[in-house]
Amino acid sequence: MRFGMELKKLRRTGYFPAFPAGAAAASAFPILNMAVRTEVYTGLPGNPLDILLDASWQMMAMLNILLIVCCTCMMYHTEYAENGIQKMEVLPVRQISLFLRKFLITTAMAALVIMIEFAALAFCILMWFPDAGIDLKEFLCHWSFEVILLLPTIMVSLIIASACRNMWISLGIGVILVFTFSVLPKDYLFLDLCPYCSPYQLLTAAEENGHAALFLGVCIGETALAGMAEHIYLKIRRYFS
Amino acid sequence: MNFLSLTGIELQKIRRSKILLILLAPVVIMWLPAIINSEKIQDVQGIPITPEHNFFIQGFMGMVWFMIPATLIICTVLLIQIEQTNHGMKKMLTLPINRRMLCLAKFAVLLLLPAVQMVMSTAAYYGSAFLSSKLQGYDYILPPGYIFPCIGKFYLAALPAAAVFWMIALLIQTPVFAVGTGLALCVPSVLIINTDYWFLHPMSYPFYMLMTEYGKAAKGLYTTDIDWFPWLPVAVMITVVSLAVSCVKMSRYEE
Amino acid sequence: MNIIETKNLTKAYGDFTAVSSLNLHIRKGSVYGFLGPNGAGKSTTMKMFLGLTRPTDGAFHINKKRFPQNRVEILKEIGSFIEAPAFYGNLTGAENLELIRKILGLQEDSVDDALELTGLQEFKNRLAKRYSLGMKQRLGLAGALIGRPPILFLDEPTNGLDPVGIHEIRTLIKSLPKKYECTVLVSSHLLPEIELMADDIGILNHGHLLFEGSLDDLKFHAHDMGMPDDNLEETFLAMIDADNQKRRDRR
Repeated sequence: MRFGMELKKLRRTGYFPAFPAGAAAASAFPILNMAVRTEVYTGLPGNPLDILLDASWQMMAMLNILLIVCCTCMMYHTEYAENGIQKMEVLPVRQISLFLRKFLITTAMAALVIMIEFAALAFCILMWFPDAGIDLKEFLCHWSFEVILLLPTIMVSLIIASACRNMWISLGIGVILVFTFSVLPKDYLFLDLCPYCSPYQLLTAAEENGHAALFLGVCIGETALAGMAEHIYLKIRRYFS
Repeated sequence: MNFLSLTGIELQKIRRSKILLILLAPVVIMWLPAIINSEKIQDVQGIPITPEHNFFIQGFMGMVWFMIPATLIICTVLLIQIEQTNHGMKKMLTLPINRRMLCLAKFAVLLLLPAVQMVMSTAAYYGSAFLSSKLQGYDYILPPGYIFPCIGKFYLAALPAAAVFWMIALLIQTPVFAVGTGLALCVPSVLIINTDYWFLHPMSYPFYMLMTEYGKAAKGLYTTDIDWFPWLPVAVMITVVSLAVSCVKMSRYEE
Repeated sequence: MNIIETKNLTKAYGDFTAVSSLNLHIRKGSVYGFLGPNGAGKSTTMKMFLGLTRPTDGAFHINKKRFPQNRVEILKEIGSFIEAPAFYGNLTGAENLELIRKILGLQEDSVDDALELTGLQEFKNRLAKRYSLGMKQRLGLAGALIGRPPILFLDEPTNGLDPVGIHEIRTLIKSLPKKYECTVLVSSHLLPEIELMADDIGILNHGHLLFEGSLDDLKFHAHDMGMPDDNLEETFLAMIDADNQKRRDRR
């Protein structure tokens, strides 16, 4: 019932349409890219999925991260705008439960977005690499890898949004973080493991470097740690308000 | 009430809105890595460009690709949110002001903000170039006669994008969606700039200007001549149409 | 002479009609009390007068001027406070009023005058977002009263004010026509307050004008209809009840 309550709170905010819209925008990249530069990519050797991801994933990942930042800000803006969160604080509801439900909803929507994007990639393969088949297991592995790598970004974005009453501060911080991590040099592994940076990683490259398990483990660990930090923050917040 | 007075009033409204911090933060974030990576700038990787030009171009690349458009978007929506938060817009609409002039006055304030950011960027460039020079024992500082016109060109090239973002912010009532749409439009600039129809994407213009400067600094790498046609007429048209739509939207604003 | 007149003024939002064929007549230099239950259409009517929302049908004139042709001239003459205080939270009370003063081209002392009238002098340098509910209300009123405009639209001006504040604002509103030849259109739910300050009354229900006239005319009208005429509250409730019953019967 409480999960449904969180879903109901997002009605008419545009939260749910935003994800398919973002997915459509990100999915347009590989399709347009292939349509405009067909010979460039069909002439390359290797797995078509890897070729497409190498060509398009950086843009798609950035759009995904921006979508997460905007939607997490919107989730908490809904709470803070007319002081709805104050009502939540005086009801017998644990604040961390509210936060975790928001996290789960955002993760589910992000997983849907990435699924739509991979569907677009599958379309590109069928369209421009007709000889190569669709390996569902391969797609599933890539999809789940990207979803797990997006978890720390979702968690940190939600934490920032929950900490800032003013949406512009959380949005500004989010955009600055997105941009900063995108321009940092790619030579350092520890940077690649950070939230806002990890979603750019590809499974194939990670496997080649023997870092796939490391990425998965670190991302899950970061998500858990950030979640615990939020739990502590929520407990001590009332002392400072 | 004339346009300048109204613009002055609009400027007063952004007092204590911490907008200068929002402008300053990306500038600092942009130039700190430049100092940290100043040693790598020396390695021009076979490109016929001097390290000081490389420092300038690399430093401004992130700025013109993403930071300037992102700042414009955030400032645009912030200006609108200031009006909506405590019904300030309602008060403005009940005062004897021409709504179209109000729209243009707000746009003038919007144009002023990236200009301030450009000034900050110039100062940050010289500061980081100076520090990097001290660290690396190489003079990275380019003369103001080169820097100022370049930065002026980047700023002017961003004006059509500012008009488009302003229009989006007025048309899309939900601020987060306005921001999201604007940011989504910025991201593909790097790809679109390589196509023949780049001039239809105003967010690419500052990047285009940067690449022509890159071409001048690294001879033979990129085209150095600016293709004024069809770019200039299209840019003017985009700016005029966006502002016209904005003015119509503002004049039809209803509570 | 009627300074504001409406002719079949109507505002519909899709299927819902907020104001229906309204014919108001507001005399110059009077206090017109605009009454009605929540959702009757009072604020919508005032918004139409200010150009905040476009009428679906009908017309009105304010001091012989019409929207949208004479919008700026009309707004130069009107001070308004609609629904909720409208201000910029990041500016102080004085700064908020200063903005309005510059737009209206008023003298510099108008800001202090408006602050004095609404009892905000002491808090003029505090940020508006840090004002209490009552102070925000007073700031909104100050924004309407600044420059002592000839026409005032006040939508529930005493909301959130303490009893002293209510008394002050009521006394102020009552004095405006005599002192400054001001015409005041005031809506309120505090019927005793309206009874004390209004010269004429208009009663709105579901967008329809049930009655318009002076308080004495209302008493006679109520008496003729067999409704209580002892005090405004009972008369008002009886009229609204009767109208609602008529609607139910029609359905």
